Formats: sequence, structure tokens, C-alpha cells
Amino acid sequence: MKKAILSLMILGLISWTGCATTQTAHDDGGMHAPMTQHYEDSIFKVTENGEFSVEVLFPDKKVEMGVNNVDLIIHNKKDEDVTGAKITVTPWMPSMGHGVMETPVANEKGGGLYNVKNVVFSMTGDWELRLEIASGSTADSVKIPLPPVGAMGHTHTMKAPSPSEIDTSMEKTSMKGQFNVSYKSDVHPIPVNRLLSWNLDVKTADGQPVKNAQIKILGDMPEHGHGFPTEPEVSGTMEDGQFLVEGLKFSMPGWWVVTFHITAGEMMDQVSFNLLLN
Amino acid sequence: MAGSNRFLSLILVLGSLLVIFPGTVYAGVHDWSPGEVRTLKSLWIKSLPTVPQDPSNAYGDDKLAASLGRKFFFDKRFSGNAKVSCGTCHRVDYAFTDDLPLAHGMGTTGRRTMTLIGSAYYPWLFWDGRKDSLWSQALGPLESSVEHGISRVFVVSIIFQHYRKEYEDIFGPLPPVGKLGRLLARPASDDPGAFKGWLKLSLEDREAVNRVYVNLGKAIAAYVRTILPGISRFDEYVAALNEDRAGDLKGIFTDQEAEGLRIFIGKAKCTNCHSGPLFTNGEFHNLDIPVSEKMPFDAGRAEGISLVLADEFNCLGNFSDAKGKQCQQLWWMDTDTRKYNGAMKTPTLRNVVERPPYMHAGQFNAIREVLDFYRGSKNPDIEHQSLTNSDLKALEAFLGTLSGPILSLGE
Ligand SMILES: [Cu+2]
Repeated sequence: MKKAILSLMILGLISWTGCATTQTAHDDGGMHAPMTQHYEDSIFKVTENGEFSVEVLFPDKKVEMGVNNVDLIIHNKKDEDVTGAKITVTPWMPSMGHGVMETPVANEKGGGLYNVKNVVFSMTGDWELRLEIASGSTADSVKIPLPPVGAMGHTHTMKAPSPSEIDTSMEKTSMKGQFNVSYKSDVHPIPVNRLLSWNLDVKTADGQPVKNAQIKILGDMPEHGHGFPTEPEVSGTMEDGQFLVEGLKFSMPGWWVVTFHITAGEMMDQVSFNLLLN
Repeated sequence: MAGSNRFLSLILVLGSLLVIFPGTVYAGVHDWSPGEVRTLKSLWIKSLPTVPQDPSNAYGDDKLAASLGRKFFFDKRFSGNAKVSCGTCHRVDYAFTDDLPLAHGMGTTGRRTMTLIGSAYYPWLFWDGRKDSLWSQALGPLESSVEHGISRVFVVSIIFQHYRKEYEDIFGPLPPVGKLGRLLARPASDDPGAFKGWLKLSLEDREAVNRVYVNLGKAIAAYVRTILPGISRFDEYVAALNEDRAGDLKGIFTDQEAEGLRIFIGKAKCTNCHSGPLFTNGEFHNLDIPVSEKMPFDAGRAEGISLVLADEFNCLGNFSDAKGKQCQQLWWMDTDTRKYNGAMKTPTLRNVVERPPYMHAGQFNAIREVLDFYRGSKNPDIEHQSLTNSDLKALEAFLGTLSGPILSLGE
């Protein structure tokens, strides 16, 4: 972020004398002075009445379902940085005709840069940012179409390590070493497309069975960016240290990662199991 | 007789192969690794378990109910213009679907008719999975104004008039129903007049009408449960592999078909979704298949999730014969609708070449167009190595081997 502000200040200096890349907004036939786009990978748009230019950047380099981080660079008609502006941001989904419940807040960072931390896209598809900008006595608005919001929960697609590098053991120590966990499936080898129950055995590092743990389950196909088509739950404690996990369903062959977040009293840790299904 | 026919067609196929692919040589194309054999067996019809019980339908395996259900299925009196039956869209002569991009009953719907082959195995019905049982599925189109265009009250009046004895032999005495009032009365959000008519019925009459309506659905389901795939050439091929009759493989598949099969389970990654003996995982995926701009946005499964939860005829409802975790699919269903915007159910590939057009709105007229589309897809669920034109031809040839007889009650 610091870097961005610094470069903005530099660019701001340049803009005193004339900018590196200068664009005329094609939307409204050049009715106003040229305005500047600083970054190649930004989305650049001039507001409806030509009062401001807006440059949208995604500092995290992604647009996905959930909470997003957005930078806005605002210039006025004379291509000067706009400071002290009041900006209303509305994420909008034109195809569905709706926005979202949360209203994002724009924080001014100086030099015409505003950061919006809590831009929530509640579903995948095509979204736009609707901005209303007021600076002094000037106000204008703009609708900025965004790149499509990624499908199936998250957009990451990780290349699988080669099968020989994937540890598929069914017994593991949790990340911080607090638990030893193992699972047993009611059907083995594990089939795809079938509802399964697992018996999860949770012991402390020194081998004591764990009582009364809260366990959350997360399935993931890291290469595909999706998880289970179901909502598995720990539906019962079978005996101390033995938990029944129901509702697991692997909808595809391939590499799966099943993660259990375990909270037992003061202890909190997570463990992930790899599965290679065919 | 069948044998000599096959022999003849084999000669024809091999002959035409020589003409079309004079230079193509598939070395060892009928050799399969142990891993491949495992995959092939998982797709084999013999791996299909017996039809799973539907705990929500106490009549699901009742033979009388099935034969009554078949009568209901083909009876055009159950429609607003006396021209539409279930069999109008689910054509017996067309692999239990029709040849239209969008289903057409009294009017035109927004999606393609799904085939009924093996539908007893699916946890979710319709493209969006808005139904969780076959009996509940059967009840939807009857009250849709663009399909059968009638009401549950209308259905019950037909049963009273024409099916009293057969109904009562299975389900017991028809309940006394008072004056049915408006024949098109139904609890419908799209027709206030019909809804008012429905509310004017006494609570007892509404309950009685619902009960008879549901029983009709359960009988139709008992029939549809008998619609199953038969043995295809692919299944004969795997049978030969399974019985170590390696010498027979060449006689069952052409080299090109075997190559197509290898691509299907290998680099094309088709089995990511088209897995198991029905060649589907029964789940929902949005693959960004292009739709005509004239069509309204279709949220698919994202909407289906809410619809099946709210459905009075779902597995956990009053008219189901199951309860609690017996309704396992609904019980564990993923309710995060955001993940399923525009997602549609993976259809079976059994008998697929016989039933164009393809996709949820009949967007593609030919298998080759479907394969071309998938070749270009960047969706991570089907991310595959690059496929050549001859790969696509082989895949298409292989898909042709998935056709077999379709079994249904009494046939
Ligand atoms: Cu996947």
C-alpha cells in the first residue's frame, strides 16, 4: 500500500507537468480535458457528466465472492487529484437488479487515493461498482463494470503436486501439534458421489481422548476451487475422543483436502487430510 | 441373428474406417492399465446397484402402483387441452425426452426436457434440482401453466371419474371430497384466481385433494423408477475386459471408439462430472454455456436450493413417508446458494447420441458442438490437456457406444 501511495505521489508530480499515459474517455466523445490512467491493469472510467475520472484497482489482485479490497483514484476535470471527496460505493449486480446489504466505506489515503476495504460480492457473476462522488459543490456518479466475480466460492486454482508428493495418510498430527487425529470412512475405498460417514478419532498430543470438542469441517478441491456439495456435520460423540462426521460427499474424482478445525477447551488447532479419489 | 447382424455392421464399420482413416494407427489401443480398468468398471452397468429405495414413497416398488402410474403417465386427459401427457415431452421413442431445445406442453418452458433414464438414482430432479423425489417431481409439471396446465383439483376430479377402482385397490378408499369448486383451483403464486379458489376449499378438502394428488405422483414415480438403461456396447466391452477376453475387445469396439474411451477417462477429464454407471455425478455445475440473449437469466441450482427447501412435497414434508435423516440428501444439502448461481445438473450420457439437442436450453444441436465447447472451456472442473480434432472425433465415436435398449415396466 505504501508503495502505491508513493508512486501516486510521484505520478501526482508528473501530472503537474503532464502525465505519462493520457487517455480521453471514449464514452462521452471528448467533451472534457484529457484524464489520466496511471496503471495498465486498472479499470478507468469518467463519470456521467465528465466531472471526475475514476481508476479502480484491486490491491489483492483478485475479485472474488466475499469481501474484497478496492482502491479508487479520483481526478477532477482538470486531471488534478481530488481530496476530501465524499464517496458512496454500491456494489451492484445488474443481471439480478440488486446490490448487497453491507454498505462499504471509502477511506481517504491522500493524493486522490481512496481505499474501500469491505466491498462484498454476495454471489458469482457480473457486478458493477456504482459510485457517487461529491467534492465541494461538484457531484457526479458513475457505474463501473467489474471483471466477473469468481465461481464456486473461491477462485484459487492450485496445481496439484504429483500424487507421490501428496501425503494421504489417514492419521495426522494437527498443525500446531495439539491433537493427533485419524479418520475411518464407513465405506472404503472412498467412493465418489455417495454420502459418507467418518469416524474421527481425536486425541491430545499425549494420547488422551478429547471430550466435548467443537469440530468444523471444510472440504476443498484445491485444483478446482470448490468443496463438498453438502454440509457435513459432527452429529455425535460416539465415546470420548470418537466423533461421528456425517454428510460428507465427494462429487468428483481427484485431489481433495478435508480440514477439521478442532476446539476443545483452551486448545484450538486444525488438521488436513489429503485424498486422491478415482 | 443378432450376432450375424453385429458381424455385418462390424465389417461395415471397419470398412468405413479404412476409407476414413486410412493412415490412423492406434497401437495397443485395447490395452488398459489396472487403474484404467478400475475406472472402466466403475462406469460399467454391472456396477449400478439395484434401484435405491425411496423412503419418501411407500408405493415406490409397488407393482400395481407402477402399472397405474404408467396409465397416468400417458393419459392426455391430465392437461388443459387434453393433448399433453408426461409422455408428450418424455417420449418413449426418443429416450424419454423430446427433440426440442425448450420443452413444449401447453406452452413453451424455459428449459430442455431431461431424459428419465435411470432417474430413480438421482438425489435431485430437474436441471436445478428443485425436487428431491420422483413423486414430487411428477407433480410439478401438472400445475405448470406451460406444461400440463391443470390443477391438483382437476387431477383429483379425473381420478374420481376414471380411476376410482384402480386407485382404491392400491391406496384405499378415495376420501370424501365436498364440492371441488373451481376446477383450476391450486395454491399458485402465478394465478390469484386459482389461489383464491383453492383457499375457498375447506381445510379438510384441501388435505384430501393433496393426498390424492400426492398418491398420483407416487404411482407415476413407481413407473418412472422402472425406466432404466440396458446393456450398451460399452458395457459389453467392459464385460469382455472383466472376463479377460482380451481377444474379443477388438470385435466390440473399433480402435477409434477405444481411443475415444481412453480420452474420455483420461486427458479430457470427462469423468470429473460424468462418473459412475449413469455417467453423471448428479451434482450441479456452472460451465458458462452460452445462452441466447433472448432468454432471461437462469439462476439454476441457486434457485433450486430454495425451491426444494420450501416445497410442501419435499422429503421432510407432511406427504412424505420418510422422516429426519432418512431424507439424507435434503438433510445434508449444501444451502450456500451463492456457489451455485447458474449451475445445472450433470445429465446422464446413457443413450446420449440419440437425443439431441443438448444442454439445459438445448443450445447445441450436435454432440460435436458440445465437444467443441468443452474443448475451449477454461473451467477448472474440466481443465484438460489440449484436444485435437481427431480426439474429438474419437470421443464422439465412443459416446455412440453408450446407447442400448431402454428398459421400462413390461418391456
Ligand atoms: Cu471439482
